Amino acid sequence: MKALGLVILAAGMASRGIALAEDAPEVIAITHARVYVPGGHPPLDDATVVLAKGKVLAVGAGLAAPPGSTLVIDAHGKTVTPGLIDANTAVGAVDVELEAPTNDANVRGLMTPALRMVDGYNPRSTLIPIARTGGVTSVVVAPRSGVLGGQAAFVDLAGDTLAEAIVRPSLAQYAHVDEETAEASAGTRSGLWLLLREALEDARFYATHKAQYDANGTRPLSLHRSGLEALLPVLRGEQPLVVTAHRASDIEAALRLAGELKLRLILQGASEAWMVADEIARRKVPVVMDPLQDLPTHFDRLHSRSDNAALLERAGVAVVIATFSAHQCRLLWQHAGNAVRLGMDHDAAIRAITEAPAAAFGLQGYGVIEPGAVADVVVWSGDPLQTSSRVEHVFIRGHEHSLETRQTLLLERYRTLPVPRDGSR
Amino acid sequence: MALPSACLPYGHQSEAARPTATSALAAPSMDPFAAVEAKARSSVDDAAVNQAPPVLVRHATVMTATGRTFAPGFVLMSGGTIVAVGDGDGPATLPANTVVVDGRGKFVTPGIIDPHSHIGVYPVPETLAHDDGNEMTDPTTAGVRAEHSFWPEDPAIERAVAGGVTTIAVLPGSGNLIGGRGIVMHLTPQRGARAMRFPGAPEILKMACGENPKRVYKEQKRAPTTRMGNLRIVREAFVKAQKYAREQDDWSRRQQTAASPGKKDDKAGADPPKPPDRDLALETLALVMRGDILVEWHCYQADDMIAALQVADEFGFQVRAFHHALEAYKVRDLLSRRRVAIATWDDWWGFKMEAYDGIPENLALATEAGVRAALHSDSPIAIQFLNQAAGKALAAGRAAGIKVDEEDALRWLTANPAWVLGIDGLVGTLEVGKHADVVVWSDDPLSIYSRAELVYVDGRAAFDRAHVGAPWSDFELGVRGMPPKGGKK
Repeated sequence: MKALGLVILAAGMASRGIALAEDAPEVIAITHARVYVPGGHPPLDDATVVLAKGKVLAVGAGLAAPPGSTLVIDAHGKTVTPGLIDANTAVGAVDVELEAPTNDANVRGLMTPALRMVDGYNPRSTLIPIARTGGVTSVVVAPRSGVLGGQAAFVDLAGDTLAEAIVRPSLAQYAHVDEETAEASAGTRSGLWLLLREALEDARFYATHKAQYDANGTRPLSLHRSGLEALLPVLRGEQPLVVTAHRASDIEAALRLAGELKLRLILQGASEAWMVADEIARRKVPVVMDPLQDLPTHFDRLHSRSDNAALLERAGVAVVIATFSAHQCRLLWQHAGNAVRLGMDHDAAIRAITEAPAAAFGLQGYGVIEPGAVADVVVWSGDPLQTSSRVEHVFIRGHEHSLETRQTLLLERYRTLPVPRDGSR
Repeated sequence: MALPSACLPYGHQSEAARPTATSALAAPSMDPFAAVEAKARSSVDDAAVNQAPPVLVRHATVMTATGRTFAPGFVLMSGGTIVAVGDGDGPATLPANTVVVDGRGKFVTPGIIDPHSHIGVYPVPETLAHDDGNEMTDPTTAGVRAEHSFWPEDPAIERAVAGGVTTIAVLPGSGNLIGGRGIVMHLTPQRGARAMRFPGAPEILKMACGENPKRVYKEQKRAPTTRMGNLRIVREAFVKAQKYAREQDDWSRRQQTAASPGKKDDKAGADPPKPPDRDLALETLALVMRGDILVEWHCYQADDMIAALQVADEFGFQVRAFHHALEAYKVRDLLSRRRVAIATWDDWWGFKMEAYDGIPENLALATEAGVRAALHSDSPIAIQFLNQAAGKALAAGRAAGIKVDEEDALRWLTANPAWVLGIDGLVGTLEVGKHADVVVWSDDPLSIYSRAELVYVDGRAAFDRAHVGAPWSDFELGVRGMPPKGGKK
């Protein structure tokens, strides 16, 4: 396939090359690059990616830049990937972790399914340009705690307004069945599961008894109306339920619950997932995880091991790699690179930060470079997973973003000492 | 302060055969309790003399961290020390029992030294029972020692070694302004902390400033609750220690006078001079002021570092290194001039206010300015890939046009943290006579794909990726699905 020079073109363009409409405002061609393409194909060498109107117009090996391109980047020796997607971060929800008023990621309360992270999202956060310097172009801003902690937002790391940034305000519902949540809620695991099942069963009851509920004609339910409403798309299987579980038995319990209630399950954390990898694969449940979590930090993670991602991948599980960090969202590549160091296939690790999160959450057009996809594209100086590589260009919905951050401004200010303090520079 | 050779822990035949720990320590201690102290230091876990067979690693790229790289080169270890290193294949004749490692395509470096770890004092799993890192009952606890909290079964120890780390400084946490003594440790499986103590390493004191102490004690509704409160408490502690040190000096003088032959007759029958009551905290601070204990000061912000240096000047001690030091780049000229090292991360930032101005070029800028800069982890996760941190900090520096190279990056991991801990005469470079702490990497150690394949501590393979045995930690025995079992201890 590679030898033939795989060319993928938008329908109708193949026979006559790429014709641009007269009024095309901006056409960007990135040429001579190694390009990661979807569908399990190996990356294309000496390939071209054409972006226009916020979409990928074309991608193919040996393709010439269309005449009239407004920007041509010769990316010889460089690598092009889809914009990376961090499937769990608090970018835009936290300024300083330890300063509570600036931290909108840790809500009080353990049963808040109606909570929407989008309502606290700040598209002007100083963390966002820093995340982009790591090639991250869109993120899942997820609740960090709670038996039912609320709904994640899917946002582009672009745009100055909420309207421009938000892609999916209610992407998924988040549950936690780990040791910490059991301790913080009912005090025991079985108590936590009681709370969780009760909430889901009450929501199911509510779905068919709304009129009686409104007329005060039902038994007391464990959630407020907003919470019950929030769980309906989960029960209909429209919205994924992301369950943080680490111990293999907790993972099994989550799989059983999802099977019983026919939920669209995504597992998260999943330190011991490798022990039940075949079952997770059989049920086609994606796993959002951090390959660097190899320590038995809690008793529900005693079987943590450094090759969890590799073992899951080999078992056929859809592995999604996330940072679980706000300030270090920019290091998503390093988490993936370590999965490779620890035994995962290199291109699978790239998929785990591009295609796989998009597929797991049903985000059409994201995480792939193919005609019609969202034009989120990153140009790297070399292998995206290597310590020596740098991000050189970041395009989000076809627009190039500056790589200037608060940190580059600090560097500039302190590049030579002493720094004049009289405003002369 | 040298250990009696009979009490040497893990694998050391003779202290005398080695170079001295560091060039920077001041005159001998006037501590009247030196003898008590020496007794307290004697090992309760005496280890066998190092009888490991000699090991020759050859045909590898040997990066010595002295400015020389031998490609291809060799390193020969015997009796716990490096006995030869250089170009080519190594000595033609070797003892018959020599283990020869073919290093073709591989890279050899000194063992990584992490000058800031809480492994063993904040072990995993995170249990209430093992929450032993911060004695948060008083903002100054100079009398405590991390050694006495250290749990040798921490599963993080073996994972750190698998990341190419051979020596760590275990420090008390930063909840207190004066947290207590740290301990420099060699990472080997032992039954107690004492046997892991790096022989000949100087004593170190963990201090802190800024946010943590005032947050901890504000929650307890007691002092300090402000930065000025922090400074007042640290200064008062040293004022008390000055008085204590004077009393020690007076006693020492009176004792010398009593012992001198000329005066003996006059004082015949008099009671010998009585030493001041022993105070563990003041004794520690007095030793700091005498230069016998190295100060390792947790300090993020430039202004806090300046304030800390003022305290050091007031009481006449040297700060060995600022730890974390995310704003070192703002005062790198000052740190360079005063020979204060830093121990920091590659790119951590923003998790607290005093980390808000952290930039990835910090290490490179400090290095360019002549500051001795070391990488540290402060984390049982990050300690497993410190080599990547060096690769990233190098890439960040280069991208900004800062003059740093692979040699600097290697020294961030080895020679410089050795200096931070005062053991640069013993370890941190591949030189004849130094401890045989050596890592064989699968790839360029700055690459993300590089794995430590063989990790030698004192010439013994502490970790061998091809033959991973039973877990070091008793705690991890019986955990299903761990790698196949082998022997230990």
